[in-house]
Amino acid sequence: MAETLLKVAGLHAGYGDVQVLWGVNLEVPRGEIVCLVGSNGAGKTTLMRAISGLIPARGGTVGFAGENLTNASPERALAAGIAHVPEGRRLFAAMSVRDNLLMGAYLRRDGAQAVAEDLERMFAMFPILRQRQGQDAGTMSGGEQQMCAIARGLMGRPRLLLIDELSLGLAPAIVDQLCDTLRALNREGLSILVVEQDVATALDLASHAFVMDTGRVTRSGSSAELRDDPAIREAYLGSI
Amino acid sequence: MLYLQILANGLVLGGLYSCIAAGFSLVWGVLNVINILHGSFIVLGGYLAFFGYVKLGIHPFASILIAAPLFFALGYALQRGLINRMIAAPVLLTLTLTFGLDLMLSNAMLAAFTADFRKLLLDPPLGILALGPVVLPVDRLVAMLLALALTGLLYLTLSRSRIGRAIVAVRMDREAAALMGVNVKNVYAITFGLGALMAGASGPLLAMIFPISPLTGPVYLGKAFVICVLGGLGSVPGAMIGGLALGVVESFGALWFGPEHATTLSFVLLIVILLVRPEGLLGRKGYS
Repeated sequence: MAETLLKVAGLHAGYGDVQVLWGVNLEVPRGEIVCLVGSNGAGKTTLMRAISGLIPARGGTVGFAGENLTNASPERALAAGIAHVPEGRRLFAAMSVRDNLLMGAYLRRDGAQAVAEDLERMFAMFPILRQRQGQDAGTMSGGEQQMCAIARGLMGRPRLLLIDELSLGLAPAIVDQLCDTLRALNREGLSILVVEQDVATALDLASHAFVMDTGRVTRSGSSAELRDDPAIREAYLGSI
Repeated sequence: MLYLQILANGLVLGGLYSCIAAGFSLVWGVLNVINILHGSFIVLGGYLAFFGYVKLGIHPFASILIAAPLFFALGYALQRGLINRMIAAPVLLTLTLTFGLDLMLSNAMLAAFTADFRKLLLDPPLGILALGPVVLPVDRLVAMLLALALTGLLYLTLSRSRIGRAIVAVRMDREAAALMGVNVKNVYAITFGLGALMAGASGPLLAMIFPISPLTGPVYLGKAFVICVLGGLGSVPGAMIGGLALGVVESFGALWFGPEHATTLSFVLLIVILLVRPEGLLGRKGYS
């Protein structure tokens, strides 16, 4: 396996009196797509939020490309190369699509020219966003919003893209299109950690998978291994 | 032709009202803080212009250039040092905090300047401008144009600049903005600074028209409140439309019902808008 890009070790986190994560271990190798699956309330979103610095860790570590990002601010995590496409997309609804994408490039200091080039790249990748660039982001369809959210994340030039709930509420054709785009991005060297409730889609997209249950990683392995695991088939894929 | 004159008066007044409300609306919209200090900041800006002119001979319009950075720094420091500590508290608590700060500031001004009404009189006066049947004092006209220019500048800052986009982003979704790498606390302080700047800079403009006294602070605050509700919270165009609308309504109200009822009319308008269109005239989805 390739060198580890993201390494989460023994991570504890939660909200107020409620502890959600109980010693989570997870690794994303450089240049891979990794998926995180599990039932509702398993702690997938909490893990993503702890990695990107939205909530503090109560124990354990988050390491990224040799840097210790435990309890780093979202600003530092993004500067280090982690972009987080949050659950529910969280676009700036009354801001234009173009301005949403520019917000993604907020931390960049490599000049307007480079940002404009990346904007052009996003429009080439998702042509619908070019048509909609002057429109309020909140007025678009769910699929278009997800494209915008992913493009907004990419505008930060991340090395690792976290996507929380890629397919939720989207039409199957759109999900296929998004998966193709993510594969293409991955071939260009982007590492991706995706939370996905549709386990079949997730295992199809990723090379490696982690299964979470009640705040812990209970199973991990290559996607092929997990697809053939009777327990996984029973619990998530429907028995055939 | 009387109506034309009344309309012109209303628009001049309204231009100034826009400027008063824009900063107040910004702070309310972005920080969810109702800044009771806003009125006193305006008065303090007025005193700056008054004493700058009387003691140092600085033209009131020029004193805006001094007031702007001064009040920005004051607002920034106040937010960073004090208000940020309770920014997560319910809106009533931050309101109580700014209310307390306002008591301190307005009483300090009472102690320093007394409650006497002072009028800034330009010497020589700028004269009047006659546009056909409409007659306008030049100082008022210039004050209104500067007020609209300031408000326009704030709008451009918010819509075109990097920090402006960050402010709008924080207003719409604080957490998503943080994920973009925005330092939310810093944006809060800058926003509060901009609000204070708008108040402090509109002080000299209002001082060209109205007498200055610490007692007028709450009057300006009330206007800002009405305009925010009228135009829609947190958007600069909303403050501009709301301000102009209030100015015109007060002008015609003074004509039809007598000047003593102008304020009553503006609050009746407030209630009507709250009942009929609570999101304001320019309210927009995603800005709720």
